Amino acid sequence: MVDYLSLGLSHAVLLLAFWRLMLRDDLDREPPRKPPPAEPGPEPEAPKERLGRA
Amino acid sequence: MLDLAFAAFLGAVLLLGLKRPFLWVLGYIYVDIVSPQAIAWGFLGSIPLSLVFFAAAFGGWLVLDSKEGSRFTFRQVLMVAFFGLCAWTTMNAAFPEAAAAKWSWVWKSLLVGIFLPLTLRTRARVEAAVLIIVLAAGSIMISAGIKTVLSGGGYGTLNSYVRTNTGIYEGSTMSTVAITLIPLIVWLARHGTIFPPDWRTKLFAAGLAFACLLTPIGTQTRTGLLCIAVLFVLALRDMKRRVLLLGVMGVVGMMALPFLPDSYLERMGTIKTHQADTSASTRVAVWMHTLEDVKERPMGGGFDAFLGNELRYKTREVVGSGNNVKIEANDVIDKGRAYHSAYFEVLGEQGWLGLAIWLALQAIGLIQLELVRWRLRKSTHPEDRSDASLANALQIAHVVYLFGSLFVGIAYQPFIFMLIGLEIGLALAIKRRTASAAPPRPLVRKPTLQPVGVAGGA
Repeated sequence: MVDYLSLGLSHAVLLLAFWRLMLRDDLDREPPRKPPPAEPGPEPEAPKERLGRA
Repeated sequence: MLDLAFAAFLGAVLLLGLKRPFLWVLGYIYVDIVSPQAIAWGFLGSIPLSLVFFAAAFGGWLVLDSKEGSRFTFRQVLMVAFFGLCAWTTMNAAFPEAAAAKWSWVWKSLLVGIFLPLTLRTRARVEAAVLIIVLAAGSIMISAGIKTVLSGGGYGTLNSYVRTNTGIYEGSTMSTVAITLIPLIVWLARHGTIFPPDWRTKLFAAGLAFACLLTPIGTQTRTGLLCIAVLFVLALRDMKRRVLLLGVMGVVGMMALPFLPDSYLERMGTIKTHQADTSASTRVAVWMHTLEDVKERPMGGGFDAFLGNELRYKTREVVGSGNNVKIEANDVIDKGRAYHSAYFEVLGEQGWLGLAIWLALQAIGLIQLELVRWRLRKSTHPEDRSDASLANALQIAHVVYLFGSLFVGIAYQPFIFMLIGLEIGLALAIKRRTASAAPPRPLVRKPTLQPVGVAGGA
């Protein structure tokens, strides 16, 4: 019983893995390297209040 | 029923391979590890599944697959040399029939190591191969883990799918491979792209890793305990809060002790007792005999050359009980004891040259992975982080296997050659990516001759 359960679970995952791999184009052709994620820039400065003339 | 289920699974893999021939290579890896023809009891046993899948894998690669990115590396040359040496020692073996029987599966292991890197020509294929190896071997460990929880297991009695106690289904081999899988499981859970790291992947990975940790407890092998200790030490290398983790591991270990089966604790306790003396005496005697043997046969005695050994060693036995206990020393003569060590197995069977080649295969891989880790250590690119992490996982897995090899004759198992194949595939994938990302060298302009004024001009 334990053997059937283990085999069933593991082979279901294996079959899913094979299916997903079949759908992957990068399995046969290396895609171009993705650019690194953009680093967050410095926070923009808050606009300075204009001091009006009295 | 089991035959039909396996046949349906294998048939599906063959069909899917019509769209992606590389899947036949993965199918061959699966058949090599799991051996479904040995698990099922019916018609599947009469089909040469290894041959069918190897023909599909090799034929598919040869005829249908692009060779772009395929390289033949120095380590594959070493494996070809090792293949030739093993063939030669088999033809000149001290025990020809036994040697031929062992060679009948060893040559397939070596072929996997030589052929696999040729097919791993993209980064995705390396990950795919890691995943299939983990899932295939993991299917054995899931069963072992569940049975350990339910029954506590037992040395030599934990029944797996295949009852012959050979190859990966042998207790000590299964323990070693189980622990070897854990760093690869962790890597897939954190960096996998085939099953992205969501809660379902992490839950399955946690369960699989736990089953792998339970396997040495179920098989009750001391080698398994050694491999667990090595794994934890190596895992500390890249951890930031090492002291805290050590403390947590110590507390968890102490808390787990009452839940471990009594038979397991008793067997691990023999590491320090006279019962271990018998086991240790036998092994040391075999190893000493092997060293003497290669003085006369420096090229080795061929596979299973241990059949010719005759050992004399002393054992100690406790006699009596209560206040009347004494230890008796006995002289024992034993014949045909196995090597119980991959290192002495290779030395005794393939001689000093064979051992040198086998050790070089291991050492070059570990050094290459360390260089990959060092080269990528400062990169923040996600692909580089993933590759550095995979190099670390493969390195830890390899070292655990080499420690397990100290006391188990697993030098020629397909698993280690698949691991070597993965290492070569990863190194080549990184090399290709580095080469394509390098900026083109600026063209050096040759200085042109400029006309100068005519001397003596008006």
